Amino acid sequence: MTLDLTELPPRPDTAGELVDVPHGWEVREVEQFLYKEARLADENDYDGWEALWTDDALYWVPVDGEGDHPRAKVSIIFDNRSRISTRMKQVRTGKRYAQAPPSNLRRIIGNVELLGGRANAAGSVDLEIGANFIAFESRERGNTIWGGRTTYRLRKVDGAIRLVYKKVVLADNERAVPTLGFLI
Amino acid sequence: MTAVVPSASEVEEGGSRYDRLIQPARVHGTLYTDPSIYAEELRKIWHRTWVFVGHESEVPQPNDYVRKQLADQDVVMTRDKDGEVHLLINRCAHRGLQVCDDQAGNSSSFRCPYHGWTYRNTGELLGYPYNKGYGGKNQLPLGMGKVARVDSYQGFVFGSLAEDGPSLDEHLGAAKGEIDRLVGLSPEGRVALDAGWLRHRTRANWKFLAENETDGYHPQFVHGSIFGVTGSPIGALYSDNSTAVTRNLGDGHSENDLRPEFREFAEPMRWFGTTPDRVPSYVQAMKDAFGEDEANRRMIEGAPHVMIFPNLFIAEIQVFNIQPVGVGECVQYSTAVQIDGGHELNQRMVSQSIGSVGPAGMLLADDTEMYERNQRGVAMADPEWLDVRRGLVRESVDADGFTIGAATDETGMRGFWNHYKSLMEAEDR
Amino acid sequence: MTRHEEGPHHEVGLEEGADDVVVPQGRVVESEFASIAVRLDREGNSVRLRVEDLRTGRVRHLDALELESIVWLGEGHLTQLLDPSHERWRG
Repeated sequence: MTLDLTELPPRPDTAGELVDVPHGWEVREVEQFLYKEARLADENDYDGWEALWTDDALYWVPVDGEGDHPRAKVSIIFDNRSRISTRMKQVRTGKRYAQAPPSNLRRIIGNVELLGGRANAAGSVDLEIGANFIAFESRERGNTIWGGRTTYRLRKVDGAIRLVYKKVVLADNERAVPTLGFLI
Repeated sequence: MTAVVPSASEVEEGGSRYDRLIQPARVHGTLYTDPSIYAEELRKIWHRTWVFVGHESEVPQPNDYVRKQLADQDVVMTRDKDGEVHLLINRCAHRGLQVCDDQAGNSSSFRCPYHGWTYRNTGELLGYPYNKGYGGKNQLPLGMGKVARVDSYQGFVFGSLAEDGPSLDEHLGAAKGEIDRLVGLSPEGRVALDAGWLRHRTRANWKFLAENETDGYHPQFVHGSIFGVTGSPIGALYSDNSTAVTRNLGDGHSENDLRPEFREFAEPMRWFGTTPDRVPSYVQAMKDAFGEDEANRRMIEGAPHVMIFPNLFIAEIQVFNIQPVGVGECVQYSTAVQIDGGHELNQRMVSQSIGSVGPAGMLLADDTEMYERNQRGVAMADPEWLDVRRGLVRESVDADGFTIGAATDETGMRGFWNHYKSLMEAEDR
Repeated sequence: MTRHEEGPHHEVGLEEGADDVVVPQGRVVESEFASIAVRLDREGNSVRLRVEDLRTGRVRHLDALELESIVWLGEGHLTQLLDPSHERWRG
């Protein structure tokens, strides 16, 4: 082992303690936000989707179930805010061939649960949500059905809901998966 | 699938099937689409030559094991109690069941879930339940299947399913020097491939990948989107003005040798996109290990970009293991190199690899899109051929006797096809 | 959220008792005749029991299938192993 794991910060999915659901959140508004995020991703509205994120964003798609520590082991995606921006800039060139032409997409989000609260670096508590999804992707390669579970963390900034964290655990992430060019 | 055979007017009379399909300046589309050619490749290449399977660092402890793929064979890579690495075929000698189910573990022995037959992690049959049915203990000369030959170089483990043939040393030939260059970036002389593997399912023939890995012609086109938005200097390495060379290393291996470009800049760690002051303890460890001048040379020249026939691709800080699944499908396994004694580099190698490779990688997802469009394209009837002549007009031989071309030339592909042809023309055994 | 756990599918735990051995931290099993430290070792690709003879420093790792096999050793077989001439002071 070449990495000294003691140097690593805690892994982002389990860092800190999961506390009670913070006050001031309604299930309905949360669901509406998740559906909007899904629609922006389905419709390849990169500007709209990117604008949902906070500056301390984390977008993570691990392999092998819940994944290992994302700084020590490889993941399919592990983007901070800066890398989300790079990813969006690349796809906006129209020459990101894995997504040019873009996939045709529709997804269903369900089983939405408010799981609790998670303290953030600024000292406030973000809302943590779990949900299942099925996404249907069509492109010339063929049709692909993607499925899994997403954990979101949301924060209200100046009265608007923003996306802080999104971890997508694909149900088949222990096997070889095809090119994932769209926003999962 | 196409079943288009070159018409009589297109080919010279006589010669083998592969003489007709593989010519100096072009190769035939059926090489990528014909199931009978794929079946022959399994026999003559994947089941015969040395194939990269994994790395010793994936089984660091005695009795560790991991499941790996060797073409169509499910293989268990084990380290026995004495430290020796074995490649077992994951099949019970009794009823043919898959013995190991987990992807990794630690066990001195494996017990088949079907009837309890138990094997040492060397493959030897250790026992079976209710032995009276077989006349007592130790009555059966059976064991798990084994990859006939296992050898490693600098920790990279290769297997050959053929009992005899060229040694791994002979197979690797000049490519050994490239692996040495990678390992030579470790002040401790060791790298690890223990950062996990991404698995990218690819609907294309494996040869499109092998050819693309040292194709210096495509990066500015396929990867222009990411080079442009990140201001990456990689594109310039593969421009028409680049001093980098494409080298046919022989035995099907090839490289894009970027050292001429990095030597011009003469800046240590430029190859890694950083400067010595940002990785001070690594730089010091390199100097302590190799002396100032030699350490600087290594840190200026950087890591290799080499395709080792048929399936190991070292792309500077990433390692790819390509395994075929069928004539039109393969899996790319990719990971980040981890340098022993390079802790300042290793987390960044993981992070850069996540950004670049795998199913969502900002480089490899685009390559893979091309492979898949390539596969659909070669199913078309006309033109029947793929052109591989780029650089034939300006090839030369370097001081070591290797054929070299310019950075964007198809010298590596021609080396690949030469070796491929020699293997495919060999007699079936 | 499912907490990620290393190693096998089942958590390894020993029952708590009066003078119990708590394995994850590493504890000593001791009598006037022998002194053995035991702890779980996660250095390998799945968890093992690390057993150290504190009087000699000799270490052995036992994997799950080996431990299961010890559990099922017949008393006679185990007694044979205790014969000092069986291995350590052979001959």
